[in-house]
Amino acid sequence: MNFEKLFERAKEKNIEDIQVHYVADTKLDIEVLKGELENYTIADTKGLSVKGIFDGKMGTVSTEVINDDVIDFIVDSVIASANNIDSEDEVFIYGGDSIYQDVDDLYNKELEEVDAKTKIDLAFDLEKETLKLDEKIKMVQAFYSEVKHQVRILNSKGLDLSKVVNSATAGVYVIASDGKDQRTGIEYVQSNVYEDFDIENIAKEGAKRAVDALGAKSIKSGDYEVILENKASASLLAAHVSMFSAESVQKDVSLLKGKIGEKISKELISIVDDPFMKKSPRSGSFDDEGVATKYKELVSSGKLTGYLYNLKTAKKDEVGSTGNGFRNGISPTNFYIQPGKTSFDLSVQSMKKGLIISDLQGTHSGTSSVSGDFSLQASGYLVEEGKIVRPISLITVAGNYLEVLQDVTEVCNDLKMNFGYIGSPSIKIKALAIAGDE
Amino acid sequence: MLERKLITKVLEEALTTNADFSEIFIEDRSQASASMLSSKVERVHNSRTFGIGIRVAKGFHSVYGYTNSNTEEDLLKLANDLAQSFPGSQEKKNIVLGELKVGTSHKSRILPSTVEMKDKITLLKRADKAAREYSEVINQVMVNYQDYEQKVWIANSEGNYVHDVRVRTRIAIGSVAANEKSKQQGFNGPGGTHGFEFYTEMINVEEEAKEASRIATVMLTADHAPSGKMPVVIDNGFGGVIFHEACGHSLEATSVAPGMSVFSGKKGEKIASPLVTAIDDGTIENAWGSANFDDEGHPQKRRVLIKDGVLNSYMIDKLNAIRMNDEMTNSGRRESYRYAPTSRMTNTYIDNGESTFDEIISATEYGLYAKKMGGGSVNPATGDFNFSVSEAYLIRDGKIAEPVKGATLIGTGADALLKVDMVGNNLLTAQGMCGSASGSIPTDVGQPTIRVSEITVGGRKAAN
Repeated sequence: MNFEKLFERAKEKNIEDIQVHYVADTKLDIEVLKGELENYTIADTKGLSVKGIFDGKMGTVSTEVINDDVIDFIVDSVIASANNIDSEDEVFIYGGDSIYQDVDDLYNKELEEVDAKTKIDLAFDLEKETLKLDEKIKMVQAFYSEVKHQVRILNSKGLDLSKVVNSATAGVYVIASDGKDQRTGIEYVQSNVYEDFDIENIAKEGAKRAVDALGAKSIKSGDYEVILENKASASLLAAHVSMFSAESVQKDVSLLKGKIGEKISKELISIVDDPFMKKSPRSGSFDDEGVATKYKELVSSGKLTGYLYNLKTAKKDEVGSTGNGFRNGISPTNFYIQPGKTSFDLSVQSMKKGLIISDLQGTHSGTSSVSGDFSLQASGYLVEEGKIVRPISLITVAGNYLEVLQDVTEVCNDLKMNFGYIGSPSIKIKALAIAGDE
Repeated sequence: MLERKLITKVLEEALTTNADFSEIFIEDRSQASASMLSSKVERVHNSRTFGIGIRVAKGFHSVYGYTNSNTEEDLLKLANDLAQSFPGSQEKKNIVLGELKVGTSHKSRILPSTVEMKDKITLLKRADKAAREYSEVINQVMVNYQDYEQKVWIANSEGNYVHDVRVRTRIAIGSVAANEKSKQQGFNGPGGTHGFEFYTEMINVEEEAKEASRIATVMLTADHAPSGKMPVVIDNGFGGVIFHEACGHSLEATSVAPGMSVFSGKKGEKIASPLVTAIDDGTIENAWGSANFDDEGHPQKRRVLIKDGVLNSYMIDKLNAIRMNDEMTNSGRRESYRYAPTSRMTNTYIDNGESTFDEIISATEYGLYAKKMGGGSVNPATGDFNFSVSEAYLIRDGKIAEPVKGATLIGTGADALLKVDMVGNNLLTAQGMCGSASGSIPTDVGQPTIRVSEITVGGRKAAN
């Protein structure tokens, strides 16, 4: 599509400013099961999102039909959209920042140059390696998926930014059975450096998660000291991340409203948003509004220091955008709880009686970012006198997320990003309500 | 849309190596959405999606590719790339496409694309007003409106060639009730395979909005739910999510075929209480999960999954039928051209039994009455499920007592199905979006009021 022509047509129709956000993706998905290539998918897609200011309102439209024939559809849709909006928020098309930090390792050409056959073989090897680790392992689903993501932002104020990112995930989903009980485990690595996919290690971790959980039973209901393992803690944080969005705060649906400068957690906890994290596909020097991204601490030693902003919400609070304007709203880039010093093993050893919660299910339905209350299905291990006694399943863990942050007694050094961009180390919590079988 | 000749050429190109089946899925979709928050229209968005998915298979093994391009060059290249996964060569296949079959059911009377955006916005305003007027404690209301027209053309190397148009619309209302101590949300989101007539002929927007506010208001005064094992009465309508999550997913060929489901190899066996008969029916006129054809181009149908407690049928797509050596049930569905189809649910429900609602409540001395369910999920390998209850009450001495909040039901599907000990006669369905291997698709869940003799309830208080 000729963007110049689109901008001209927009101007003729009295659209004050206009911006296009063009995305081109290529994808490769591989899945191996029972010694067979179960899934092989290749994709090549392009999409265009357009926003424009008409009569002081922001109109939007998106299309996958991208040619000069849809220029009128785009312009008319932007106007129809703007005409129906009655939000009085001030809206912006951004002229750009003077400096955008270089992020040089977003795209690794070598990853793309490894041929598809080699990547398929990697998945076969992952399955084989995992299966041979333990006879209780009944089935292994091995996967490799890779994406190359190109973005270009162009607007009528002269901004023209682009980036290319690539990333791959390799892992195993393991089913183990001892004849009576059946359990699952998952392990994966995300990177854009092909050599990072250590088959042996992924296989070992995945196998361990499934096999160790065999024979899991419920426990007696009550309050227990809990270590929330890194991935479980990350999924709980992910369910509550909208609390940190200035949009939620301004709309009065955030528990963190009016709490800047207050202690919202134990001093042990610091939470950051890091757009420059290595090997993350979420990293980059600009957001979808064209604003330069920045590294920032949202919680500094327990104290809430700020929210995540896009242009619109920043204007309302008379601050600058934090470069978190993504997809017409606000999203974090790489958002995580800073790791502490204690090792996970030491943290377990210092526990007299408690639980390790290694997995939480249903975080999309059993949490409320409005109230902070959660009640979730969990599984993990019972710990007594510093030792893992047995696996546990079919329990629920309930609480309030802000209370959890206040009750953290230890932060481990094992930070893990959970499928992408939200991460946490394992954290120890004084007490959580557990519902079991009696 | 593509020329018949080009479709044939692409399907033939995919069979130039050793594959024995090829399929093309062409999608052209127009969507409109609008959202309101704090009584202001925040966002109005039109979108147009167009893409093509090509699937190539040998036996039950398949590869898939998709693109937004509709040029002959790009499509032939994609077909050829995919064909390379099945090395070898065969005589050139001449594919003869049959006559285009066009779906004729589930028609919409008023196409959403012919309705002006301002009339859709009026719905948001009416819902917002009704939700706020319900009670003084309602301090925030979110309303989302969505409609789409999904046009698909599906053709395969067996000559099957179909066209279907799915017109769907939904309005979703979220109300927040607040006092000094707490904030609670209520949600209600009715929808259907309907055009804009849905809002004049099928539902009353004000009543639907009030329902969201009613739930939020009741839950505001609720105490924490108790925890422990107890009888649970799950109400009709969205309560059917228990069956959808706990059993429905485990009856899909996606998990049954590779032997990953707890119900693998159990056809003809008793897997549920004899009171349970469960149906998956993609033909219900204008229902949310209905269509003329599945996304592999086969006519939708009605499947009896469980008959009087005995497993009668799985939900099986074309390739898994080969793999399982079982009959295809025309259950192939997908969100869009970006997904290869696989076995999925449509409108899935537990059928009516004989008890009345009052009989079920009065037969329960102590337990939980789960009036409105939230969402949930299941691990098909273990059958472990969890789902949240968005509106719950305790039952004491056979009567509905005080409301309780924060309850989660957990258990295993196989166990819960066997423990259903009462089934009501008030079947009702409700709308949901179901996410799985082939994306997020509209599905109806449903059931009459049922009682499960024992489920673990997760709450924050000890049982009393």
